[in-house]
Amino acid sequence: MVKLTEYEQKMYDGGMGAFKQRAIHKIVDYANALGAKELCTVSKATVYFGYHPYLDAVESEDYDEIFSKMVLCDNENVYKLDSFSEECFAQTCVGPCDHYCHEPVGISKEVFDKNRKFLELTREAGVSIAGSCTPYLSGWLPLRGEHFVSTESSNILMCNSILGACANADGLEASAWSAICGRTPLWGLHIKENRYATHVVEICCPSETPLDWDMIGYALGKKLTEGNERPVLVGDFKKPDLDKLKKCFSSLATTSGCEICHIVGCTAEAGTLEEALAGYEPKKRQTITLEDYEDAVRANCDAGSADLQMVVLGCPHYSLAEIRAVAAILKGRKVADGVSLQIWTDMAIQQLAEVNGYAAIIKEAGAYLLNSACPLVCGRTVYDRITTGVAVDGAKQAHYYHSDLSSRGCKIFYGDTEKCVEAAIKGRWEVQPCRNVLF
Amino acid sequence: MSERIVLKGRPAYPGKAAGKALVCPDSIQGWAGVSEETGCIIEAGHPEEGKSIKGKILVIPYGKGSTGWSGHFHSAAVAGFSPAGWLFSHIDSRCGVAAAALEIPAVADFPEDVDIFSVIRTGDHVEIDGDTGMVVITRQ
Repeated sequence: MVKLTEYEQKMYDGGMGAFKQRAIHKIVDYANALGAKELCTVSKATVYFGYHPYLDAVESEDYDEIFSKMVLCDNENVYKLDSFSEECFAQTCVGPCDHYCHEPVGISKEVFDKNRKFLELTREAGVSIAGSCTPYLSGWLPLRGEHFVSTESSNILMCNSILGACANADGLEASAWSAICGRTPLWGLHIKENRYATHVVEICCPSETPLDWDMIGYALGKKLTEGNERPVLVGDFKKPDLDKLKKCFSSLATTSGCEICHIVGCTAEAGTLEEALAGYEPKKRQTITLEDYEDAVRANCDAGSADLQMVVLGCPHYSLAEIRAVAAILKGRKVADGVSLQIWTDMAIQQLAEVNGYAAIIKEAGAYLLNSACPLVCGRTVYDRITTGVAVDGAKQAHYYHSDLSSRGCKIFYGDTEKCVEAAIKGRWEVQPCRNVLF
Repeated sequence: MSERIVLKGRPAYPGKAAGKALVCPDSIQGWAGVSEETGCIIEAGHPEEGKSIKGKILVIPYGKGSTGWSGHFHSAAVAGFSPAGWLFSHIDSRCGVAAAALEIPAVADFPEDVDIFSVIRTGDHVEIDGDTGMVVITRQ
């Protein structure tokens, strides 16, 4: 059983109110499920708040009741939303709609209004509105050794691997419990001794482009079939930048539960292979081959051609550099009639895109620069416009669309950003030879 | 003639549960993995696609995919499609949260020489005790 400090015990016994008491009770349940011995203090959190579709499982208009059932996991009692931990800076992850508009997203005004209302309620309780799956792009950065929680799997990989900060993939509920009580189980990647690499993976496939790294992440995740693996990437690969790692980590966290990925010469705890292994013999040595890479492309991109109704960019949320690159392709051109070209980012980056004129170019082309969400997270009615085809430049979107849209009989295409933008302009995805002669 | 097998793991969430096993050696993805409207597995290409998790003892290795893993199972549970219990071969954070969120019995972390995926088959009757870690499998 987990051992509590005096402060934690006081909270557990109700000395800091029923709201915090419920949160720490659930953190203790979580700690006992894991076999953790004690808790640690969390100083940064991202939480999955707003009117997300999964909340519809509770048939109620009362946010306190919805929050109690779905976040605090109590079917018997209703807790009044109270203050979150003062020790932990909490901000929102992606939400179910753009913060300022709903029509381009394909979401009703009712959902938009309810989302804003819910976000305002949690903002008053101490959770800042950020609407970001890439919080590190706008200043939410846990430092080396800092304990954080996050509801975005690619963010967990990024902050564990690149920054050397400490988190497990806790999930929607536990991130909120931690943001409320300021504690998480001291277990897994919160302990330095548990962070060394267990699997050595040699990269023997293309590694130049963002798409290459998206496919490396996807193929790597497929190879991690034992659970709790901590890979270290080695080989003669081209060193990735932040935008490429963003892609790699989002697809890696799609096909696996991986929470930390060392990359020799690139990540915080892998200056060398020896440092990453910390003296341990690897459990397995694997290779990502060109065949693995091609399999990953085929898994995400349907064969053939089709007319498109939607093209989605910005999974994970685009950086300013990525938006600038899209604006450069779109400048002076028009998206085809009947195609919704959506470019997703957060509000901070969107503002920078406004200042720099990229947003104006995108608007002039008939595309949409949107914030705080993505179609996958919005769910509900966003796919209604798709009848024959959708194209995306993020494997995470492509992978999950194959489940979400399987009953609609439409095609899901995946390719690099330029190909997706050109397809949006043409209104159609055409099979054509590409660098790897695949799609 | 029925066969009876007894295993012991680490108790992860208290309580007793019994039901038919749904064995998923490759786990179930969280996002777009289980329908919150039907309780059935919807992960494209999953070997048990179309089967309901309701009332089952889910036998899985660990979580997979989105950090929202627990949330999707919890939503399905709130909508009336809760599994009866969990067996996790190697618990991870996603599964730990799911155990705490759904508040159903769970046993985890079996000895290295016990492969629960070869011992337990989908459809076996399984009784689990989340207080002691005992698991009893009965096969007709």
